[in-house]
Amino acid sequence: MDNATDSLLETYLFETGTLLEQLDELLIDAEQNGDFTEDNVNEIFRSMHTIKGSSAMLEFNSLMEIAHHIEDLFFYIRENGMDTLSSDHKSELFNLMFSSVDKLREEVGKVENSEPLDTNIDSFIQNINDFLNKISNNESDAAANDAPSAAGESAAPGIDALIPDMGSPYLLHIYFDEDCGMENLRAFMLVTSLRETEMPFTFYPEDIETNSSSSEYITENGFYLGFDSQAEAEQAVDYLSSAGNVRAFEIVQAPSKEEPKEPETPSAEPETKQESSKPAASDKKPAEKKQQSAGGAAHAAKQSLISVNQSKLDSLMAIVGEIVITESMVTSSPELQDIKLDSFLKSARQLRKLTDDLQDISMSLRMVPVASVFQKMNRIVRDMSKTLNKDVRLTIIGEHTEVDKSIVDSIGDPIMHIVRNAMDHGIEATSEERVAAGKKPQGEIILAAEHTGSEVIISVTDDGGGVDPDAVLAKAAANGILTKPEEEYSKKEILSLLMAPGFSTNTEVTEYSGRGVGMDVVKRNVENVGGVISITSEKGQGSCFTLKIPLTLAIVDGMEISVGNAVFTIPIANIRQSFKAKETDVVLDAAGNEMIRCMDDYYPIIRLHELYSMDDAYTQIDDGILIWVEASDKSYCMFVDELIGEQQVVVKPLPSYLNNFNIKNSGISGCTILGDGNISIILDVASVYYTAQNTFF
Amino acid sequence: MPEAMEHEALNQALDAEKDSEGVVEARNVARFLTFLSDGLYFGVNTRNVIEIINNHQIRTLPMVPDYVRGIINLRGQVIPIIDMRLRMGKPFQEYTPKTCIVILEIDSNTIGIVVDSVAQVLDIDLDRITPIPTENRQELTNSMISIDGTVILLLECEAIVENQM
Repeated sequence: MDNATDSLLETYLFETGTLLEQLDELLIDAEQNGDFTEDNVNEIFRSMHTIKGSSAMLEFNSLMEIAHHIEDLFFYIRENGMDTLSSDHKSELFNLMFSSVDKLREEVGKVENSEPLDTNIDSFIQNINDFLNKISNNESDAAANDAPSAAGESAAPGIDALIPDMGSPYLLHIYFDEDCGMENLRAFMLVTSLRETEMPFTFYPEDIETNSSSSEYITENGFYLGFDSQAEAEQAVDYLSSAGNVRAFEIVQAPSKEEPKEPETPSAEPETKQESSKPAASDKKPAEKKQQSAGGAAHAAKQSLISVNQSKLDSLMAIVGEIVITESMVTSSPELQDIKLDSFLKSARQLRKLTDDLQDISMSLRMVPVASVFQKMNRIVRDMSKTLNKDVRLTIIGEHTEVDKSIVDSIGDPIMHIVRNAMDHGIEATSEERVAAGKKPQGEIILAAEHTGSEVIISVTDDGGGVDPDAVLAKAAANGILTKPEEEYSKKEILSLLMAPGFSTNTEVTEYSGRGVGMDVVKRNVENVGGVISITSEKGQGSCFTLKIPLTLAIVDGMEISVGNAVFTIPIANIRQSFKAKETDVVLDAAGNEMIRCMDDYYPIIRLHELYSMDDAYTQIDDGILIWVEASDKSYCMFVDELIGEQQVVVKPLPSYLNNFNIKNSGISGCTILGDGNISIILDVASVYYTAQNTFF
Repeated sequence: MPEAMEHEALNQALDAEKDSEGVVEARNVARFLTFLSDGLYFGVNTRNVIEIINNHQIRTLPMVPDYVRGIINLRGQVIPIIDMRLRMGKPFQEYTPKTCIVILEIDSNTIGIVVDSVAQVLDIDLDRITPIPTENRQELTNSMISIDGTVILLLECEAIVENQM
């Protein structure tokens, strides 16, 4: 039972989250156009309706209340059209909607973290109501009074008749579980799911969706569904048995087949297609019903997509990785080496092809477009434009570029930070300043993503003031983070100072950036997913932040190397070159540390066997091999015994028990199982450097 | 290979015990796997024992305490291995064919412990367990039982996975 609730909650969070995200996008678009289109209004109405319904079912009252009131508001707007709103009202509506979506998101966040929901939302709802009153000039009051009375009328005849007259010969009489609450919404969900079968049917009471007092009627008298034939009624029974909270149901034959007395009945049937243009109160309901069936159709179209728990994908990925390894273990088994097996080899090749395909597919399952991250930036740019009073446009390029889900999750914050920085520090404070510099008055931030083989490149470019190298240097000097004399800094080095810990160019702390945690956090986050960040900037022309991020973390192209008896894997992406060297090529610095010349520069040598105190390895530079590696801004040569070969490996995390020993800080990022079943340790090139620095220098 | 058969037999005993767990729990009796390490008998609740393996290649890890012998690949699962002797501050002894790795699952951590040899699976009456006098208490054990003159120290599984830097 708990599991069922959990998965219900999970679905709810997913659905509501998606809806809110869509709403955000829609609002941004609409605000740019300065108007809601009819479709927009309908969509907002639909989303709010769904949120209201599902929140009510899970008894998240604050969410339900807010969604309910927004729904009311948009109900009014839909009836009267956007044209009746003055531009002041429109901008107020946009702000109200943005804050409502934020509020809803906040509440959903609380649900997600199992925190208590906000119980005091009256003032918030008051805002919505005030606005509604304002735009409707109190018309809505009358309408609101209308609605319950209309509902009361329609419910009245039902109570008298034991079996309501619905114009259908076969009736399905349903009782919900006692005390299950929200009977009307449960009934409505039933109706919605039945509509997907495209079977004509009627139901009673009809106002379940709009009138919460109908739930009392359902509790007392049950809920009726009417069908044209017994077969259809029986088909519906199948649905009922899968629906929750149904206590009992029976098929009854309607006693009389008179024409339905209630005017709503025929129009409530889903096959009614005629457009109702009269703004009369009685027509509101069918319009709303149609909306719902449209929603149902959209829902049906979405059925080809399913949401899967990420941990399932992770384990699928792991198992596929194992299969790939096992496959090579079997086909290259030493016991088969000397035997000539033609058909075996043929099948083995086939197997390899299939496992490769399997691996590709399971990888692609985890790939999602970066659009979700990019869209959020729209909102940030919009909000900051307002607060900072800057006119800025965000251009998004390549939002369909796909990356691994885990990477998408972890690049959201860094990108957001960079965009905020660009808004706050990058773009000039006033449009006059921009015009004076010969630029368009409107600032522009370009957010772009593209694929290059095994990497995705994300860049954030602004056409603002750019970085002043002298100011950066002065600031760095003032903060005491310079490590060498000022005049020795190259431009590239100066720009990378921006990402040094404890550097923030804005002296004032604003709402959005400059809280002291700055670009260094961004850099660390990017490096955590194996990425690299670089900055280019021309003073007066703007800046560009480029993030290079691997497509996936689960599989790495690695170079197997040996040190003594042990095998290590170095990600190929980090290797620049490997070469033999002579003892005489090695030079020593003042502290006695070894260095070697590669191209035109000298780089330190880190002997892996010394770092890891392994005594069965080569100690003469002449015997082993040097691998020139590079990770972000660290570049050095690693001394190892031998290169074994290149191999694609599946990265496995180390057992969590080993975190007790700070294993992450000893240059090891994970491990992998080799074709022969042995374990190879995957080295993190940057972390090896830091470890060596802490150990030797 | 008599040793292999010996621990296979114990593995079977462990499996059989898992099937009949409910029955055993009913009385105030628990099953313990006993093993030998540095001349002392230890017992570990079979609830925590997954299996016993031997002759496994251990991949050493750099920069960890000496008692962490490394990691092994057990059917695709990477499991850390600690040496009981070293963990208890006793001298290291080269591994022999009798040396076994007991795979334990403790609080969802899977971990292997290297022991000199495994002995048997015993039903132990929980009421007869006595605490070890404080002054003799070791880090990993705080209770014991004496069966037919043999003292068995009962292992605190949770203490093994706790952080003791």
